[in-house]
Amino acid sequence: MSRKLPKYFFNFVCLLVYIFLLAPIVVVLLSSLTTTEYIVFPPEGLTLRWYTELIEHPEFMQSFTLSIIVAFGTAIISTAIGTLASLAVVRRQFKGKTAIVQLVGSPLLIPSVVFGVALLQFYSWIGLAASPLALILGHIILTVPFVMRLVVASLVGFDRSIEQAALNLGAGPMKVFFQITLPIIKSGVIAGAIFAFITSFDDLTVALFIVSTDVVTLPVRIYTYMQYQYDPIITSVSSIMILFTVVLMLVIERVLGVGKVFSSKN
Amino acid sequence: MQAGIGTEHDLLLQQKKKNLTKKRLDTWLLLLPTLGIFIFFFLLPLFFLFITSFKNFDASTGVGNEWTLQNYIKFMSDPFYLGVVWRTVKIALLTTLITIIISYPVAFQISRSKGRARNYLTLLVLSPLLISMVIRCYGWVILLSNNGVVNNTLLKLGWIDQPLTLLYTELSVVIGMVHVLFPYMVLSIMGSLEKIDPSVIRASQNLGASSFRTFFSILLPLTLPGVFAGSVMVFSLSVSSFVTPAILGGPQVKVMSYLTYEQVAVMLNWPYGGAIGFLLILIATITIIVYSKILARSEKGVAIQ
Repeated sequence: MSRKLPKYFFNFVCLLVYIFLLAPIVVVLLSSLTTTEYIVFPPEGLTLRWYTELIEHPEFMQSFTLSIIVAFGTAIISTAIGTLASLAVVRRQFKGKTAIVQLVGSPLLIPSVVFGVALLQFYSWIGLAASPLALILGHIILTVPFVMRLVVASLVGFDRSIEQAALNLGAGPMKVFFQITLPIIKSGVIAGAIFAFITSFDDLTVALFIVSTDVVTLPVRIYTYMQYQYDPIITSVSSIMILFTVVLMLVIERVLGVGKVFSSKN
Repeated sequence: MQAGIGTEHDLLLQQKKKNLTKKRLDTWLLLLPTLGIFIFFFLLPLFFLFITSFKNFDASTGVGNEWTLQNYIKFMSDPFYLGVVWRTVKIALLTTLITIIISYPVAFQISRSKGRARNYLTLLVLSPLLISMVIRCYGWVILLSNNGVVNNTLLKLGWIDQPLTLLYTELSVVIGMVHVLFPYMVLSIMGSLEKIDPSVIRASQNLGASSFRTFFSILLPLTLPGVFAGSVMVFSLSVSSFVTPAILGGPQVKVMSYLTYEQVAVMLNWPYGGAIGFLLILIATITIIVYSKILARSEKGVAIQ
């Protein structure tokens, strides 16, 4: 019995940590169902009123659409260019390789506030106004490091004799890439794209500097709204975003298996 | 015959050279898109901001043309701003420490579990990572505000008579930060836990060591590199994070990233905001260097043991 005690205590501690992890998310989800005019937890009564009220706030829907477009654009472009760069970094020897690898990895070390400020100043100088493209370009910088880490990890240990065989059998380099290389490194590429999508979709810091009154991403919209309002609309928007992420995660789990995606991350 | 072979040989050589130049060209073509975007939309903007941080500023005329060190001097000679630096570092240190303490048991539990349970636990730990930071912080606002869940519960239990001020304090920033950065630490510690041969632990237990003893003299030393690596990541991410301190601390708990934002977005003082930003980069870089020095030393220490 006394030997079991530490084990129970240990499991109890872990349980507390899991509760800590989920608490803020559960609170947001449940608060969105309250019948009161203000946010309260536990919710008083149950209603979907705050979800229908969203119809009267089309700006949230606009921001959601914009965020999706930006995240999608970012994911596609940064995965494409990141995969190409990873091929060069893993398979070719060239001068300045270390410097390039460090440059591409450095956005993870630079505080995104500083990058956001720098980008805003640069955009105003070259006359690039807030637009999906302006946001995508900024987000590419934030996401390429993730894409490259994941793709490089999947390229290491790649058996190149299959490619050689295809080349010898007369396949062109393009055909080899799309029919052999890409399918083999697929999981790394998809994981990179998903990371890029989520990072871009979630970004507040850089977007905060770039947005204008017409071009506002969802995180920025939520951030500015909650500075002035304390009504449950914000929790209903947030809940939709959470459900959206859960669906996305289920898809990832189905396609790749979560363990796989994250084990290559470290 | 001889000549025939010679030309064939020459041809082969030429072909090889051609292939090599082609390959070199290919390499740069592969790199060009990424490199181009990084030079134009990362290096150049940061470089220009760096230059701006050495310019003078006037509230009525804006950014001036004179070169000056004033922005950096102003920051480093003012006790208020130095206090902000200290607060930033303090919050990051506290965050790192608490994250280590609460991540360790969870990492241990996951590394011990198998199959389904393991997948679900991993998913559970990593799920907050995928949910928007803004929303997670907002959840903490609901929990910690004056009439929030925590205060209401404590009032109902009769443990307090008046709501505690929890929100917009250093405490709330640390709580939010631990929540956001927790998965990074768990992943890092799990990485080094998995490298340990399970027979080592069994051996220790068979020899009669208590689980306490096994933990402190075997598990902990062997996983220190993972703990350190996780700490570097958590520390540098929390020193430079903006979202959490902005939502859970706001103007009441100013940290360096918030100061940078405020100077640029509210005061429009670009040079000063830029200077604070580069000092922030400097602090983050120094800690990473110091940490990795300690890390290198501790790894040697572990190897010797």
